Amino acid sequence: MAIANVLLVGITLPEFNSQCASHGYVPLMVDDIPAMLNVEAPISVVLIAQDLIGDALPADMERLYFLASGAPIAAFLTDLEHISEGLMRALDEGTLDRVYGYEVGLGLAVGSIDRMYLTACLDTSVRAYQKNSGENEILHREINLRNKVLDHERELNANITGSITSGLVIIDLVGNIFLINEFARKHLRIEATDIMGVPFRQVFPEKVCRFMDNSLKKMNAQWRRHEMKKITIEEAVLEIAAYRMNDYGKQPTGMLMIINDITDQENTTAQLFRSEKLATVGTMLSGIAHELRNPLSIISARSQMALKKEDWDKPWAIKNFESIDAQVNRCASIINSLLDFTRYKATKPGQHKVGEILDETLTYVEYQNIFDSITVEKTYEEGLLVYGDRSRFVQIFLNIILNAADAMSGKGVLTLSTKSDEHGQVLVEVHDTGSGIDATVKDRIFDPFFTTKEPGKGTGLGLAVAYKIVQESGGELWFTSEPHNTTFFVRLSSGKRKGL
Amino acid sequence: MNEKILLVDDEIDFLDVLSEFLMDEGYHVSCARDGNEALDKLSKEKFDLLLSDINMPGMKGFELIKESGRLYPATKTALITAYDVRDYLYMAKHYGIGNIITKTTPFNFEEVRLLVKNILTEDVFGLDRYMHGEIHSAKIRSTNEIEGIIQKIVADMPDTRHKRKFRQVLNEIIINAVYYGARQERGDRKELWPQVVELTPSEEILIQWGTDEEKTGVAVRDQKGILTKEEVLYWLERNTTKGDNGVSIGLLDEHGKGLFISRETIDRFIMNVKKGSKTEIVMLNYNEGLYDGYRPLWIHEF
Repeated sequence: MAIANVLLVGITLPEFNSQCASHGYVPLMVDDIPAMLNVEAPISVVLIAQDLIGDALPADMERLYFLASGAPIAAFLTDLEHISEGLMRALDEGTLDRVYGYEVGLGLAVGSIDRMYLTACLDTSVRAYQKNSGENEILHREINLRNKVLDHERELNANITGSITSGLVIIDLVGNIFLINEFARKHLRIEATDIMGVPFRQVFPEKVCRFMDNSLKKMNAQWRRHEMKKITIEEAVLEIAAYRMNDYGKQPTGMLMIINDITDQENTTAQLFRSEKLATVGTMLSGIAHELRNPLSIISARSQMALKKEDWDKPWAIKNFESIDAQVNRCASIINSLLDFTRYKATKPGQHKVGEILDETLTYVEYQNIFDSITVEKTYEEGLLVYGDRSRFVQIFLNIILNAADAMSGKGVLTLSTKSDEHGQVLVEVHDTGSGIDATVKDRIFDPFFTTKEPGKGTGLGLAVAYKIVQESGGELWFTSEPHNTTFFVRLSSGKRKGL
Repeated sequence: MNEKILLVDDEIDFLDVLSEFLMDEGYHVSCARDGNEALDKLSKEKFDLLLSDINMPGMKGFELIKESGRLYPATKTALITAYDVRDYLYMAKHYGIGNIITKTTPFNFEEVRLLVKNILTEDVFGLDRYMHGEIHSAKIRSTNEIEGIIQKIVADMPDTRHKRKFRQVLNEIIINAVYYGARQERGDRKELWPQVVELTPSEEILIQWGTDEEKTGVAVRDQKGILTKEEVLYWLERNTTKGDNGVSIGLLDEHGKGLFISRETIDRFIMNVKKGSKTEIVMLNYNEGLYDGYRPLWIHEF
C-alpha cells in the first residue's frame, strides 16, 4: 500500500498518531494554517482544529488550503477524541466507499462533524491519492466512468440550452464565447456557426457589444451582480440580462447572459399605455363636458332672449346674436360627441356582412359636397362576416372614410377593400390618394382632439373614436402612409369572442 | 296668473336670465343664491313654486326641497340641473321628487315654460299643450286595434332616425296601458295576459298624436290612474343603479325595464297621473340633433 499522508493542523493527538501509523497512514503535523503552505509532501487528508478556523469563512479556508497544497480535501474537526477510534475502525473494515463517492472528498465539514462523514472523507481521499500514486487499473476505470458521466452531462447541457426559449450566452473573462445556444444565435442575428472561443466583438451586433463591454466594466469595477437592457434588433425587442459568473471562491470567471424576446409584451404594453391614456383623457373630458353645460346653457338662454326682444332692429345686433347662438350650439354638439365617446354604450352584437356595412357607411357620406370629385372603388371579397354591433362598425368606417376624404381635399380615389386574413379574421382596407400622414404626427393621430385640420374643420375626435371602438370590439386599427398613398387597416373578428 | 316663484341657483347669471324669462311669462319671481337664503325667503313670503338648482355650495337642492316640503307643504317644488338626470334618479326616488328640469343647450325655454305651468296649474293632460300643430286622436276599444293605430301614427311621422325605435316604444307603452293601466293585469305575469280583449268603456285608451316643426308627439291615456310616481321612480332607479356585478340591478326584473328603456329612447318622456282617474304618458321626440343631451325627469302626480 502506498503512503497516504494525513495533515493535522493545530492538533496534537498522540493516540491518533500511533493508530495512523499502524494503519499505513503518515501523520504530519503543523501548528497553524499559514504553516500549511510550507508542507511539501503530497497530502491526502487535512484535519484542522476548530479553534484555528475561528470566524473565517469556510469557503476562504477551503480555497486557502486548496491553493497551498493542491490536495482536494479538507476536513475541519472539533472533537477528534470522539471520532478517532471509529474512524480508524471504519477505515480498516473498508466499509466506507459504498456510502460515499469520490467527490465527497471535496466536501467541507465544520463544527460538530458526523463520524461517518469524516471517515468517508478520509477514505476517498486516500483512494484518490493512491490513484495518483499509480494504481492504473483503478484509475482507468475511474476515468472511463467519469467520461461517461461527462458525456451524459454534456448531452444534458446541450438539451437544456437548446430547449429553453431564452438565449443563453457565456463568455470568459477575456471576452471569448464559451457557450451560445441556438435561440441566442438566432435572435442576435449571428450567421457564423463555428464561433466557440471567438471574441464576441467579432460576431455580436454592435448594440449588444456595447452593452456587454459596459457590463463587464461594471462587474469588475463596481462588483455589480447583474446588468439588464432592452435592445431592439430588426423589429424584435430583446431583454438582455448579464450576470457575473463566479467560481466557488466568488472570483469572477466570466459573464453569463440570458436573452428574452419581449416583442409581443412590448407591443401590448404600448397598447395598454395608449388605452390607459385614452381612459384618463376620457374621464377628464367627461368632467369638462359636464362643467361646460352650465355656462353654455346660460349663453344659449341669453342669446335666445336677446333675439326674441322686439325692440332690437339693428341687423348688426341680430347678426351677432345669431352667431353666438350658432357657436354655442356647435360647442354643445362637440360636448355631446365627447360624452358619446366617453360613455359606455351597451351594444347588441350580431354577425354582419362587412361589405354591407361599408356600403351603408358610404350612403351617410356620399351625398356630401366633399365627395363630389372623389371616385369610390370597391373590391370586396364575397361572404365576409364580422361580429359586433352594426352601428359601432359604421361609426368606425365613417370616421376613417371622412378622414380620407378630408386628406384628399375632396379630390381623388377612395378604395375600400375587404379580405380574410391568415387567421380567419376580416381585414378591411381604406385607401386614399390624399396628402398622406406626416411622419411627425404619426404617433398622435389616434389621440383625442389631435387634428391637422384648420381650426373649425374638425374636432380631432374621429380617429380616436374609431380607435376606441375597434379596440373595444377586440380588433386592430393601424395605417401606413406616404404622400398619395395612405391605407388604414381594420382587422375585425368574424366570430363571437370568447367570454362575451 | 301671478303665481310666485322662488328661483334658487348659485349661478347669478342663470338666475338673471331665467327670472327675466319667467317674469316675461307673467310670474312674480324672487331669487336666492343658496339654500339658506331660500329658506329665509320662504319663511317671509308664500311661494307657489320653489325651483332650485341641485348642485350648490352648502345645502343641496334635494335637501332644500325636503326642508321646504316639511315647513311649507303647499309650495310646489322642482329641481333644475346641468348634469345628467340619470345620476340623480336615486336621489329623486329617495326624496320623492318627480320633476328635474335640465339646462340644455340650446336652452329649452319652451320646456321650462310648460313644466312650470303644468306644475302650478295641475292642468296637464292633453297632447295639444306640447305641440303647435294639428292633433289626431283615436280610441282603442279592443286589443285588435292596437297594431292598426300604431301603423297609422307611424305613417304620420316624419322620417327621422328615431322612427323605428319610436314604433317599438309605442308598442310597449300602448300594450302596457291596455293590460296594466286599464285592465290591471299583473305586470310580472305578462305570459298570462289574454291575446284578444274587448275593452269596456272605462277601459278604453285614448291615443293622441301629431307633429310640429321641431318634434313628433304621442300621448297615451287610460282612465284609471293607478300608476304612481313612487312606482315609476322605483323602476327607473333600479335600472340605473349598478350592482356589484356592474350591470343594473333591474336587469333581471320581470318588468319595469320597458318603462326605463322607453324613457331612454324617447327625448321627452312625460308621465301625468291623476290618482284614481287617469294616467297619461306623453312622448316627444325632437327632430335630428335638437336638445340632444340630458333628459328631464317629468312626472306630475296629484
